Amino acid sequence: MAKLLDKQRYKCALGAMQTVQAITRAIPILHSGPGCAQKLSDSIGSSGYFSPNIFPCTSINEKDVVFGGVKKLHSTIDNALKVVDADLYVVLTGCIPEIVGDDTGEVVSEFADADKPVIYASTAGFKGNNYKGHEQVIDAIIDQYLKKSENKQKGLVNIWADVPYQDLFWLGNIKELERLLEEIGLTPNTIFGYNRGIEHIDRIPEAEFNLLVSPWVSVKNMKKMEKKLGIPYFHYPTLPIGAYETSKFLREVGKFAGVDEKKVEGVINEHENYYYYLIERYADLFLENRVINKQFSVVADAQYALGITKFLTNDLGLVPAKQFIVDDTPREFRDAIAEEFTKLNYGLKAEVAFETDSYKIHEEIKNHDYHGYPLILGSYYEKELTEKLKGNYLNIAWPVQDKVVFDDFYVGYTGGIRLIEDIYTVAVQRFN
Amino acid sequence: MAINLNNSNVATRENRIGSITGYIGSLSDLAGQSECGTLKGCSRCFSQSSTCLSSCALGQLSAIRDVAIIHHGPAGCSVAAAGAYYLDKVMAKKRGVTNDTVYVGTDMNENDTIFGSTEALRGIILEVNKRYSPKAIFVTSSCATGIIGEDIDSIVDEVKEEIEVPIVAVHCEGFKSRIWATGFDIADHAVLSSIVQPPREKNNKINFKNFYESARPEIMEMFANFDLEPVFLYCNSTVEELSHISESLATTCICGTLGNYLGNALEETYGVPYVRSINQCGIVGFETWLREIGRVTDRTEKIEKYIEEQRAIYMPKIEEVKKELKGLKAVIGMGPGYTFEVSRVLDELGIEVVWALAWHYDKKYENGDVPPSMKYLLDNGIDFEASVADQQNFEVMNILNKYQPDLYLSRHPGSTVWAIKNGTPAVYVADEYMIFGYQHTLEFAYAILDSIRNRSFEKNLAKRTKLPYTDWWYQQNVGTFLEEAK
Amino acid sequence: MAYKIAVASSDGVNIDTSFGAANVFDIYEAEGKEYHLAEKREYTFPEGEAPEKADAANNGDCGSGNGCGTSGGCGTGNGCGSSGGTFPKVQLIGDCRCVICKKIGFQITRQLEKLAITGFDVDCTVEEALTKITVYLEKIDNHQSLRGIQTDKA
Repeated sequence: MAKLLDKQRYKCALGAMQTVQAITRAIPILHSGPGCAQKLSDSIGSSGYFSPNIFPCTSINEKDVVFGGVKKLHSTIDNALKVVDADLYVVLTGCIPEIVGDDTGEVVSEFADADKPVIYASTAGFKGNNYKGHEQVIDAIIDQYLKKSENKQKGLVNIWADVPYQDLFWLGNIKELERLLEEIGLTPNTIFGYNRGIEHIDRIPEAEFNLLVSPWVSVKNMKKMEKKLGIPYFHYPTLPIGAYETSKFLREVGKFAGVDEKKVEGVINEHENYYYYLIERYADLFLENRVINKQFSVVADAQYALGITKFLTNDLGLVPAKQFIVDDTPREFRDAIAEEFTKLNYGLKAEVAFETDSYKIHEEIKNHDYHGYPLILGSYYEKELTEKLKGNYLNIAWPVQDKVVFDDFYVGYTGGIRLIEDIYTVAVQRFN
Repeated sequence: MAINLNNSNVATRENRIGSITGYIGSLSDLAGQSECGTLKGCSRCFSQSSTCLSSCALGQLSAIRDVAIIHHGPAGCSVAAAGAYYLDKVMAKKRGVTNDTVYVGTDMNENDTIFGSTEALRGIILEVNKRYSPKAIFVTSSCATGIIGEDIDSIVDEVKEEIEVPIVAVHCEGFKSRIWATGFDIADHAVLSSIVQPPREKNNKINFKNFYESARPEIMEMFANFDLEPVFLYCNSTVEELSHISESLATTCICGTLGNYLGNALEETYGVPYVRSINQCGIVGFETWLREIGRVTDRTEKIEKYIEEQRAIYMPKIEEVKKELKGLKAVIGMGPGYTFEVSRVLDELGIEVVWALAWHYDKKYENGDVPPSMKYLLDNGIDFEASVADQQNFEVMNILNKYQPDLYLSRHPGSTVWAIKNGTPAVYVADEYMIFGYQHTLEFAYAILDSIRNRSFEKNLAKRTKLPYTDWWYQQNVGTFLEEAK
Repeated sequence: MAYKIAVASSDGVNIDTSFGAANVFDIYEAEGKEYHLAEKREYTFPEGEAPEKADAANNGDCGSGNGCGTSGGCGTGNGCGSSGGTFPKVQLIGDCRCVICKKIGFQITRQLEKLAITGFDVDCTVEEALTKITVYLEKIDNHQSLRGIQTDKA
């Protein structure tokens, strides 16, 4: 049911155009109103090979509502194939065609013989948010493009993580996850970002297994691939940040993939040596500053709320106050995710709220006693609030206005260091 | 055109003044046709995405201080809440005020599209009012709510009894118009019909419709010379201020597309003169505008004195930089308000416009006149190729590729990048005051000079990027996808 | 509430005539989803004005036919479009809520909209057009959802 979405932190399912945009040389074709792409794009970091203002769009008007928009959709796809040089064309439907009942599938099926693949995903805004839309796009690729392969490559692993663009660090994170898997001797395959694209999509069916690093996003895609393509999956719900969590992650992935334990331990040892060389040098900063207290709250999607809570607690020794998950997590995943927040070192448990009404979140933060300056990691909405509370604030989740990220990342050993740098860059700007 | 303030639906701009979004030809032809009222609108069989009228409408309304926007629709429609929150905070901070405007969505889901959600909307309106005590509430629709027949007017009428501040329904169904600037009219209409009061006593203020008031301090200082006080709309406006705009001496605006609905409505309804002139860009524009204000407010003498003083300071400097700009060729792509104004400024600076793209084109203003910016160009024998294309980037690229100009000027986010990928230096005329008056015209001239002096970035990037269009497209006529309405 | 729809069709079956070329309009009366042919209205082209030429004029080619000429001519300073009277052919169907033609010129569309008449330029049968438009308008008028109007073939 319609609800009060106060200080919203996600977009609608059509926001999945950014998932398509993250696949190099794939272009979304929007069967929607003229302004949807512009609204759903981010104003910075969107001027890649394709940018939202060049996405073909049927720009639905009143006549299309009465008489149907399928003819216009047909000509838009037809001409997009002629004008735009892409490897994959993904038709995304907005609200209007889905309500009035345009048969997008039928129009798209007329392009089955086109030189380039044309697929479609149902992404009407009311179908859910852009996390769900992201899943719809991947489902479309599985259903309409991929075929089962008998030819499996030893050690080939498809890595799936959270939603491109919605996740500020998507590019850096996925590249770092690739590097980590490579180091323990696996061959990673990802479809998003630099030098990835259709040939990597083509390789998906040949993988030994899918690795999903996300609390809930894409679980349904993994199940679909297991069923249709016969690819088993390993679901690791926590985005591993910092040495403690990353070492745990590598051990579990290594075990699932059957990698030699010694090899994994060797990689871990080398990383931890360097990690603690850095931490040791800067331990003075952690201990002898006047502004970072023990208690923190994260206001973010399930991925960062969980990943950062585990990092700050298990790695840096801070203490979690209440945590807020704002991605409208589907109900069937909530218990399992909340359970993860109770598995912290020294029997610590973090209380977690699944909440999309930010007024309530802000009231809770205001009313909680952080026993000193609160440390709040969240979206831009938390900036003013934290300032009023004299706290320390870091912008890690959408919407982002306080940080420009090209390919920075928080995942892994290096990612943990980056997050510490960011937190203490805020801290050193004040004295007390 | 009579403006009816009792109806929450603004006729879309196409209906009212015959705007078009597809045309190719020369400027004189476009204008000639506009005088005879003969322009043909063209629909397209291929288009790329552009802008939603709700972005324009709610971008305006959400900049007003301490109000509430309730955007009834799926989360994608209300996603502008994030940008509005940021802008409100930074704009207020710059001005040294606070802005607690809230912009909320209703996160409509599939169930709502089947069973309706007006009851939920009613609850949301009341809750927002309780939480934030806004000074005015704008309840706005979306494509989805329009298509499923949600009756937001009735809901707004019903809750009026429980809410003490102005509350108004704002119709923002994106599919109703392809001309997103209609959103500006929709915003004006909402303000006029819910907040603006009939004049109590006249004052010495001038309503100044603009976007982000970056030149506010200098304009206040200038107007003080003439014993005038500008009231900037709507960024950082208060509801109280807005309730008095019918008492001002005159209305003016930084962009005709932005201001003409409000200007005309205040003139028609409350007799506040609307200053219609070419806009303040460049020397001719600035002086013409100032003189028109002088005439309307009876301050001609003071204004002539000011012009004389400023000319003595700036004209020698401008003449100096013109020597270096002479002979440059430019393509420009902007809204109709700016395209023809900037063309004129470029002409003043000795730069030749080889092609101008207007994103849409108002054949006539509300009062039936041909836009003054266009008239000026014609009267002065300035002509060039022109097309009307609603942010159709593939057409821009086609034109840049054919003409290889020295410079591309644009003022819409996302458009300049494509020019530099083509190796064409681009100047982003983002701020509406970038070419305002003597000082900013001089700065603008230098900005152009600096952009073409060092083309390293453009050349480096162009060398390494592939453009996303097929060779086939570059060989086509620009108008390939314009279907003539015969 | 009952309303009228004007249709430009040479055979009563297909929407095959542009507004400018039409010399007769079939006027349907509609109420709710029901509609029936009520009358035919003929338009007599003025002497010397061939339908094709009239078409051009109605599209507003300056100086030809009765386009600008009848409404004050170019260069009067008012601009023809806004100050001129309504084309007689538009007046002929001035009591209709919408008009369905194969093509409708821009000037005509503007004039229609001033009279709150919706012009639909479509390429289909009369029956299909009337069914779709009556369903749409009935729903819009009653604040009903347009859900599935493209799948309901009724």
